[in-house]
Amino acid sequence: MNDKSLLLGRRTFLRGTGVALALPWFETFALGKPGPDETPKRFVSIYHPDGVGLPLRNDPAWKDWSWFPRGGEKDFQLTKVLDVLEPLRSDITIYSGLSHPAARRVHGHSNADQYLTGAPIGGHGPYQNSISLDQAYAEHAESFTRHSSLVMSTNGGVGGPRGAQTQSFNREGRPIPAMNKPKQIFDMLFVTSGKDAAARLARSKSALDFLIDNTRALGRQLSKRDQETLKQYLDAVRDTELKLAKAQMWIDKPIAKVDTHNLHLEAEPKEARLYFQTMYELIYLAFLSDSTRVATFQLGRENGEGPHDLLSRAVGLGAAHHLTHEVKKPEGWKNLGTYNRYQAEEFGRFAQRLKDTPEPTGKGNMLDNTLAMHGSASSSFHLSRNYPIISAGGKNFGFNNGRYLKFGKGNEDNQAGAGIDTDSEWQGKVEVEELPLAKFFVTILQRLGVETDSFGGYTGSLDL
Amino acid sequence: MNTLKITLLLVFGSTCTLLADDGQGTPITLEAAREQGRIKSRFLKDTKLVATVADAIPKANVAYFQKSVMPILNKSCINCHGPKKSEGRLRIDQLNPDLLAGPDVERWREVYNAVSNSEMPPENQSGYALAITDRGNMVDWLSEELNKASLVRRNSKDHSSFRRLTKYEYDYALQDLLGLPYALANKLPPETTTEDGFKNSSELLQISSMQFEIYREIALKALRRATVSGNRRPEAVTYLIPMQQEMDKAASSKDAKIFVKGDERYKNHRNAPHLINRETGKGVSFNSGKSMPTAGAVAGQTPALSPVMLVLPSSSELKLDLDRFLPDEGIMRVRIRAGRSTIKPDEYASLRLMLSAHTSNDANFSQVISQRDIPVTASGDNPQFINFDIPLNDLQRNPFRKLATTYPRRDEFLHIQNVSNASNGEDRLNVLIDYIEISAPYYEQWPPKTHTSIFFASRNKGSEDIYGREVLNRFLRQVWRRPVTSQEVGQFMGLFAKYRPGFATFEDTMLEVLATALATPEFLYLTQRVTTGKTQSAKNISELELASRLAVFLWCSIPDDELLKLAEQGNLRKPEVLAAQVQRMLADPRSRRFSQHFVEQWLGLDGLNSVTHIPAPLKDALEEEPIAFFDEVLRQNHSIMDFIHSDYAVVNEKLAAHYVIPKVYGPHFRKVSINPQTNRGGILTGAAILAMNSDGKDSHPLKRGVWMLKRILHDPPPPPPPNVPEVDLTNPEILKMTLKERIADHRNKAACIACHAKIDPWGIAFENYDALGVFRTSIKNKPVDATSELFNRQTLAGVDGLKRYLLADRQDQFARAMVHKLTAYALGRPLSFGDRADIDGLTAQLRQHDDRLGDLIPLIISSNLFNSR
Repeated sequence: MNDKSLLLGRRTFLRGTGVALALPWFETFALGKPGPDETPKRFVSIYHPDGVGLPLRNDPAWKDWSWFPRGGEKDFQLTKVLDVLEPLRSDITIYSGLSHPAARRVHGHSNADQYLTGAPIGGHGPYQNSISLDQAYAEHAESFTRHSSLVMSTNGGVGGPRGAQTQSFNREGRPIPAMNKPKQIFDMLFVTSGKDAAARLARSKSALDFLIDNTRALGRQLSKRDQETLKQYLDAVRDTELKLAKAQMWIDKPIAKVDTHNLHLEAEPKEARLYFQTMYELIYLAFLSDSTRVATFQLGRENGEGPHDLLSRAVGLGAAHHLTHEVKKPEGWKNLGTYNRYQAEEFGRFAQRLKDTPEPTGKGNMLDNTLAMHGSASSSFHLSRNYPIISAGGKNFGFNNGRYLKFGKGNEDNQAGAGIDTDSEWQGKVEVEELPLAKFFVTILQRLGVETDSFGGYTGSLDL
Repeated sequence: MNTLKITLLLVFGSTCTLLADDGQGTPITLEAAREQGRIKSRFLKDTKLVATVADAIPKANVAYFQKSVMPILNKSCINCHGPKKSEGRLRIDQLNPDLLAGPDVERWREVYNAVSNSEMPPENQSGYALAITDRGNMVDWLSEELNKASLVRRNSKDHSSFRRLTKYEYDYALQDLLGLPYALANKLPPETTTEDGFKNSSELLQISSMQFEIYREIALKALRRATVSGNRRPEAVTYLIPMQQEMDKAASSKDAKIFVKGDERYKNHRNAPHLINRETGKGVSFNSGKSMPTAGAVAGQTPALSPVMLVLPSSSELKLDLDRFLPDEGIMRVRIRAGRSTIKPDEYASLRLMLSAHTSNDANFSQVISQRDIPVTASGDNPQFINFDIPLNDLQRNPFRKLATTYPRRDEFLHIQNVSNASNGEDRLNVLIDYIEISAPYYEQWPPKTHTSIFFASRNKGSEDIYGREVLNRFLRQVWRRPVTSQEVGQFMGLFAKYRPGFATFEDTMLEVLATALATPEFLYLTQRVTTGKTQSAKNISELELASRLAVFLWCSIPDDELLKLAEQGNLRKPEVLAAQVQRMLADPRSRRFSQHFVEQWLGLDGLNSVTHIPAPLKDALEEEPIAFFDEVLRQNHSIMDFIHSDYAVVNEKLAAHYVIPKVYGPHFRKVSINPQTNRGGILTGAAILAMNSDGKDSHPLKRGVWMLKRILHDPPPPPPPNVPEVDLTNPEILKMTLKERIADHRNKAACIACHAKIDPWGIAFENYDALGVFRTSIKNKPVDATSELFNRQTLAGVDGLKRYLLADRQDQFARAMVHKLTAYALGRPLSFGDRADIDGLTAQLRQHDDRLGDLIPLIISSNLFNSR
């Protein structure tokens, strides 16, 4: 086949770096108009399981180890859990009083699946999810980049229903497998050969040419009016052709070269710090090279052992999930807080790196053009309410940072559900008012440039 | 309510046909009303009917404008919107009052909105204030004219039947073509519905590049499922599970609960699943087991009957841990040898399968995987095999089943459930099972028929070129529903040649080519080629196109070989051949799709998905009822007037319980006689219709009224104006009112009265039915008031009164509506004014055929409409 020799030639030319096309072309390349000097808008979501520490006010640990800040919108004080973010104070926003209504009485163990979707997945029986926030944005942004999105987790794959190991779900609500091996991710982004993709592309081109000829032949036998109807079909085929041309463009375009000195591609979760930093560095490089504008990263899975439980070794602690069960033991709140602090520290390091890097197209720094979200689908012990959420960046598309924003009513001091450490509370009555997190998602999508006024069945955005 | 009573008497006095001649003023029976109504039919009196009044081309009412509206405009509007000032650039004096022919419809619509919402004249301009009656008259005239204008616009344009297959037609076509009996096209986006409720209308069946790509993806995937690669039959994973063996395992477990039939402990265990040796009486409690595949086992065994049986009481299940060995793809055949412990005619038992996994403590899922429950009918002494064939590809599986480590857990569980109506008691109905066998992938034969119908045996298999042409020739004829030329086959062979170097085998290459054939417009569209000439036969579609139109109408699919052959031979249009084919097609199980999809669209059963108050098992029964009812009327060739009222219902046990109809047992639908006290009969009082036209808590007379007008009488009301004033539920006066009073209050606003007077009475007549369609005689301790008056002063006293009125006075309208709906569906296009004469003709024929639904289908099929382009 001719394509083979062509491809070989091109690969030689690219000196072995090859070409990448990881997803089928029809998922990756929708039509869009990439204005040449448009500054990228990026979105990344980091998910951590097990929630955060939320001691009662009368607990001696409350002052230092309660996750949420104290004080008002601008004059908030960070506790020891988040004080590592103090240097980035003017680049972050902390949120309280947000959660997905459908999950409020579902066990926290089941809820990582719906953090970015808001779907009513329930606690048992048949399971149906819906599109996640990152993928809703990817549908909009994918035409600008080689990869539609970068989906990562420490555990990899999709996990099981109500035990997700990926944060990303497609429009049909099916999970998108997450990558968890730094080497594979790097190869996918910066090395992989696109041989299969090129062959598939060539076949599709032949098929489209064939269909156009075939349709014309049919058209000649139809009435004028029916020819008009048939034209819709022809238009659909032509649109597909344009997408193919776009896919071809990515195959022809050399892969970005990146500085790899910060990468430790053989790192594994048990070398927690190294692994964690490598994964963040891969997101950074993917953004810097504009290989994608959308990423998700899930730290392991809710409940149960697995690689993610080893991440707490980075701060000298045992299995992460146990920390939440042992808050009432001596040093319990401090231990959980220390682990959460470590997560915040790594998130901060990533945000700082974006902030220290001027935007390649020249407009501000990379953090100003990236909304980085960090959070969990439970706050206190398996309680799927008052999600602890931090966002960083996004200044250039409307995020006004340096604030602590409290939504809802009746829980301004974050004491609802605080101090619990037994399973009896997670299905308790919802006593305080929280706002649907989906409304925040609408705000995010709108600011990223997606024209929508609803997400996951909720209409309207947040006033921030 | 006094005035209403008086009107009732007045009306009854004047239209005495609705009263029995007994001097008591008792209304006549519905049967008598039906007979009387038939006599009145204009279609039966004059067979050469001109266009009926109901569907005449509307004319603009300019005279009324000049007489009554213009003076109002001159008084209250013209000073600001006239020659002196033209606020909002509106010159009211320059608008053409003929909304149908004139160019000013959109301006008039603005006027209508402003005036009906009391935005104009401005409140602070007291000099221009409109009297309530003036506003009412003006709004009435405008709404009438606007409605006519939109009717004219919609119906003046002729539509073509050239259209894409709908999602469901495409799915069935692919299933029938490839022999895969399960849904393949779920990935396609849902179709848009026309104003008439149809999804198969050429007007709205668009195609986008996204859809086009999904077609290609689905086709290739389906072809790969239908065919097999390589000559070796894949080894099946087979679990052999005799209950004798389970008994041995269970009894030797250290916490086994063992008992002997008749002893004290037996009483504690007999109502839960258990194993019992029917010879010795020895038993052990048993509701879950763990099984491993038997190496080298052959499926399809029939072991000797075992004395040890599993006893599965109603609503219980056996949960089998199959570990992690079920393959990813192919059909899983589950064979269960089962019988009933008792045979009582009023009890049934059936089996259902579920698959579940529990990967870590809160990460779990379960799903029903059997398409339908299969009844157990054999006796326990002579149990018979029940087979389930489950395609594994589309199931939610345990994603960890291939892990090398044991956590998260890798197991998958098969649940065998006894779904039954059996009651407790001494001699209760249990399902008895002595042997279970699970095997996947299961093939009836090797290579499977789905494979050999594409890659068939041929002595030319040695030559890729010759055999390739043979394969394409056969496949394309089915896909394009016509014979293909060797030149066309040659073009596909050209594509084959391009693809061939990229694939290892002939078959793999050919699948890509065949997938391309399934993306051609001739597969995806219903074509109608142009021929020249002006005679009817020149306007006719070809016989091959007729075959396709027939298949899509009655099977929602492509024609089979017999239809194609007859069309190729030029015999299909011969009246006796066509009639025989229609009968054959209606007798074929595929025709059930026609009942389902036509009824769903005609009645708008999708509406059931926009309400959330119906419990899931009841919802299925609700949805099925009108389809089963239509199917009954069709197959028994009953009169379509049965849709308005019948002395029978078509129900299953679940629905019968909902309707308080006694002695209906089992999940299948069947016809049962009912008495008037049941307050059912026909489709109008079907719980599906009543429940979907509710607000989730109570009845919704407006929705029900709109539904009646749109779906049954084909006289849709205009859409509501923008910014309709909300009923103020914070007003305590309004809260005190009954729903009917609230509606009356709302209706008395000038902006609302014109439309509501036409809609509400139809809905109020259904007030005896609550949000789930349950009959009631009181609402919040007040007696139900279901009496209403139509705008023609006709009183509808509840549903009985409504049915009586429809049967006595509206038979023609309903018959014509039915013909209209069925014909629009059959043609897959909206009907226009140009089709009126044909619809009238068909209606007259239907009425002469005693309104029989079974006769109407062939009448439509042999009509000029159905045979024309």
